Amino acid sequence: MTIAVDRPPDVDLSSIKTVKQVPYTEYFVSGHRTCQGCESALVMRYIAKAAGPRTIVLGSTGCMYVANTSYYTTPWVVPWMHTQLGAAGSAALGASAGLKVLMRKGKLKDEPINVIAFCGDGGGADMGLSAISAALTHAEYRFLVILYDNESYANTDIQLSGSTPYGAVTTFSPTGKQRRIMHTRWKKNTPGALVAGHPDAAYIATADAAYGVDFMNKVRKGLASGGPAFIHVLDPCPKGWHYDPQLSHELGKLAVETGIWSLWEMEDHVVKLNGTTRAIASGRAKRKPVREYLAQQGRFAHFKDEDYDLFQRRVDEQWTNWLIPGVVSFGIEAGTPLNMPTQSAPAVSEAISESV
Amino acid sequence: MAIATQPGAAASAPKLEGEQELLVTGSEAIAHALRLADVDIVAAYPIRPYDAVMQAVATMIANGEMDCEYIVAEGEHSQFELVKHASAVGARAFVGSSGVGWFYAFEAIAVTAGLRLPVVANVGNRALDDPGAFGVEHNDALAVRDLGWLMTWVETGQEALDAALIAYKVAEDPRVMLPCAVSTDGAFLTHSQHLVKVPPREMVDKFLPAYDLGDRLFHPDNPITIAPQVDQDWLTEIRKQNDAAMRRAPEVIRDAYREYYELTGRQKEPFMETYMTDDADYVLVGQGTIAMPGRVIVRRLREQGHKVGFARLKWFRPFPAEEVIERLSGFKAVGIIDRDYSFGSPHHGGVLFTEFRAAFYDSPRRPAMINIIGGLGGREFTAADGQEMFTLLQKADAGELKTNVHWIGVRE
Amino acid sequence: MHPNGSASAPASWSVEVVYRGIFQKRLANRISRGVVLGARREGKVGTAFARYGDSPERNGIPSKNFAVVATDEVELESSLARYEPERVEISIVVDDTMSKGVESWAWYGVQPINKLVVPGGFLLVTSDKEPEELLKAIKTKPYDYTLVVVPSPVHAGVFAPEGSASFAGLWVDNDDNTDWNCLAAVARVAPQVVSLDTVLTLVRERTKDEARVNAVKANYDQLKIRPVNAGEGSSTSFEEYQKPGWTQMREGIIVEAQQVGTRNPLYKKWSTRTRRPLVNFDTCIKCTQCWLQCPDECFEVTPEGTYEVVYEACIGCSICEEVCPVPDCIVMVNELAFDDNDSLYAVYKADPEAYRAFLQKHGVPLHPELVEKAKKTAAVHDVQERKWPVTVAGGEE
Repeated sequence: MTIAVDRPPDVDLSSIKTVKQVPYTEYFVSGHRTCQGCESALVMRYIAKAAGPRTIVLGSTGCMYVANTSYYTTPWVVPWMHTQLGAAGSAALGASAGLKVLMRKGKLKDEPINVIAFCGDGGGADMGLSAISAALTHAEYRFLVILYDNESYANTDIQLSGSTPYGAVTTFSPTGKQRRIMHTRWKKNTPGALVAGHPDAAYIATADAAYGVDFMNKVRKGLASGGPAFIHVLDPCPKGWHYDPQLSHELGKLAVETGIWSLWEMEDHVVKLNGTTRAIASGRAKRKPVREYLAQQGRFAHFKDEDYDLFQRRVDEQWTNWLIPGVVSFGIEAGTPLNMPTQSAPAVSEAISESV
Repeated sequence: MAIATQPGAAASAPKLEGEQELLVTGSEAIAHALRLADVDIVAAYPIRPYDAVMQAVATMIANGEMDCEYIVAEGEHSQFELVKHASAVGARAFVGSSGVGWFYAFEAIAVTAGLRLPVVANVGNRALDDPGAFGVEHNDALAVRDLGWLMTWVETGQEALDAALIAYKVAEDPRVMLPCAVSTDGAFLTHSQHLVKVPPREMVDKFLPAYDLGDRLFHPDNPITIAPQVDQDWLTEIRKQNDAAMRRAPEVIRDAYREYYELTGRQKEPFMETYMTDDADYVLVGQGTIAMPGRVIVRRLREQGHKVGFARLKWFRPFPAEEVIERLSGFKAVGIIDRDYSFGSPHHGGVLFTEFRAAFYDSPRRPAMINIIGGLGGREFTAADGQEMFTLLQKADAGELKTNVHWIGVRE
Repeated sequence: MHPNGSASAPASWSVEVVYRGIFQKRLANRISRGVVLGARREGKVGTAFARYGDSPERNGIPSKNFAVVATDEVELESSLARYEPERVEISIVVDDTMSKGVESWAWYGVQPINKLVVPGGFLLVTSDKEPEELLKAIKTKPYDYTLVVVPSPVHAGVFAPEGSASFAGLWVDNDDNTDWNCLAAVARVAPQVVSLDTVLTLVRERTKDEARVNAVKANYDQLKIRPVNAGEGSSTSFEEYQKPGWTQMREGIIVEAQQVGTRNPLYKKWSTRTRRPLVNFDTCIKCTQCWLQCPDECFEVTPEGTYEVVYEACIGCSICEEVCPVPDCIVMVNELAFDDNDSLYAVYKADPEAYRAFLQKHGVPLHPELVEKAKKTAAVHDVQERKWPVTVAGGEE
């Protein structure tokens, strides 16, 4: 992984080999107002820890705004600024472009500064998707957008978002006498859509709060990528998913072990499956039944066998029918050559020159 | 007879060393001001008529005449959000929009004022959809009047350039630190070319200090949290701070105009320019390019022996109540021309009319005041309109009007 | 007349319900609605509302809702369009661990549990503890009031998890009569707000279960009523925060960031905790999992490389207990057993034997067979990296 600029010692973005190398210092400290067992808060902690002191963080509206930063106190050690619900992408772009031009013009000391903007699934997968998409086309700027996905508008009372799993109970999709399941849409594959559609993104990855070291390394890779980077991290929400807070870590792991959530990264324009996801894809690990994950969450308490079966079937398809397991949400016609034979490249350019 | 503004007034001002005269549109004139102000970042998104300024900036950058980040956003919301954050890290930022585009950015527009970030925006005034229309109405810019934006309307290409420079000076003043919207009437100013004097860089450097956020800079060396969530225990105090900043603005605006006038011989009057009002019985008031047909109408009526004058409001926020009362009291009748509407407002009149009425409420010498709504969607003001306005003013003076709001040139 | 029959005679009564956010939302709502609906049966009027400042609620973070009952609309009006009454005749606490004090997630600081209780008023706490024990945790008041302990539900078939902070349960809501028992307790201390007959009628109508009706009546008879004199209770001091004015506040909606090694001094969060993790420093293998997985940055490395909990920051989510690979090395214990947030590592250092006894007293198996192995494990973090003060017996080291 090439790092765009020489960094002073206090901007250490080297990879964390083992848990023993995780930096001790916190840049997001105790005293935020998040729920018991809030994995989104853990994600904030990991982001700050991995990025270190030469960082500015932009947080869009959501739990991690309202519950963390309540005037007249803050849990942040590094500078933090609010941005609007749909604006994580434009905030990251604006801040990094501002820093870049000031440094170029000599109005600000030229040094690497990590620009991180985060948003929830409401702010990222729904409202802010166009801004994130636009930001990821700006190869000349260096920033990281992190979508922390707790699968609902968890700050406003748990309403469904484009990232809420099929069938989940939310305050906009209650289970009732007439309709057991009101939310019948399948979860949007946001990271898959972004990685497929943004050839100039320097780094795109998925992560999971239960895999802290993997996530922190991805944060560092994103920041070191020298361009626009995006990470979609899944973080269990005891309040919205309705489970005992002590299960937060376990559910985070189960999401990956059941194959519902996948860990992967696109680095130097190549997609790699990571950890457990890789093991599953290569057959070294067996996917656990989705029921093990779903049945522990109150939001699926109304599920019947047929619902579990449907859910299992859809997840199976991610692994049997998708071009890249868990990543690209479509298959490809049998026999289709997956990449162009290299020798045909000149022929193409000739054809072009003839046509000119 | 006061002739503060009339065609060629700028041309008669003393020429400065290194000053250039160009024939440019109002939009291009603003682009020159941005170049001279060494603006650091510009965010563009297409919507006519404002986007002419973004096209001009792009050309300057392409030609190496200007060094700034030029970001084409994917929508107005992002466009305004990203300059807001660029401004927070210390970059002098410029943005703009028109009509419904300005409304698409409304959320970002509101928070920029709340955050006290001195972004300067050009509003190329345009009618709001539906129906789609390209011509000028002032309702787009006026919609943000309560949010803490400084708001000025300009008349000529020259004033557009001057006002853009003054806008940064005022907005970035530590006593103010509020965003500023410079409004230019669609077509009549954004797309028509005027002779404009472009001051030398040295003069602008003398006039406009570097943008300095001080201890509010969003930077790793300045450990702060900006805009945490508040509840009822705090919001009153925070709104009061914005109120205090806006209350300090008039003094800062006066200082800026005085300084600019000393350097250029232009922009003597900060808040209101009057034309043939000294001996007038009746005065018409408007903002923006309306002043041009307005003065023509005045001259026609003067030829007929009627003592009529015209006054142009230059700043709408802060609203210069003192000046307005001082200079419009004592006339027989005043006609406020609104190129906008405020449906269901008191009198069912326009926004300016409602504000002028409010400003005059405590004045013992308040004149008879009527509202003329016209020029909507860019419709031109004609000599016939002028005659009608004059008749209305006379009737108002004589107390013969049943209603004080009148739509001009509307087909029955 | 006043609920306690004293001379002062308000014609309206305010009741607050203090509960654990989200976990007990429905329970608290049933109680406050029950007060109003019950009073209505008797011709009174009323309103029920949640404290808006607690919304959106956070799991476990103390929240409040209110019921106001009045003899007529005019009396009621003075209690409408409010966030929170300035005082209440009756405060109902549905989780006895909140006796130590409560801190909303909105910035009010930690407040005594009986803050709003008027002279001669009532503090109702659902608990299996004795009033004397609860009083040790409850802040003193300068005037007399009455503490009423509502014991756990006695009713076949109604689930009441043993030792649970809330009989009705936390993350699942067990319909175990706690709501009805609280209403009956209100009827006992303030019959003029709602009478027992009305409460029992409501139970009968809603549950269609005579056994439940009898259980509520039985609970009514078993209330532990303890008059509290001025000055009785815990002397713990609660900070009163002074809010600055607009001329002192920084412009641009700016607050100071925290410093490396500190914790947010204005929001300590411990009052969210119903159980606290106890660490067996002898068997800790320094694997860092508790430290790494804690969503509230509560763990600090000790000079030995083990990890201790900073209790003023811990909110009791139990994730550390869950992720700790060593059996019983981290065990969650009911919070009421402790009267401060001081470092238990300091206690351990002062007298390891005493600390082991203390762990056993709280039912933590010591696993001596694991101690040797633990001793051999190497420290991952150097205590030099720790900025948070290490406290040992006799103060800071």
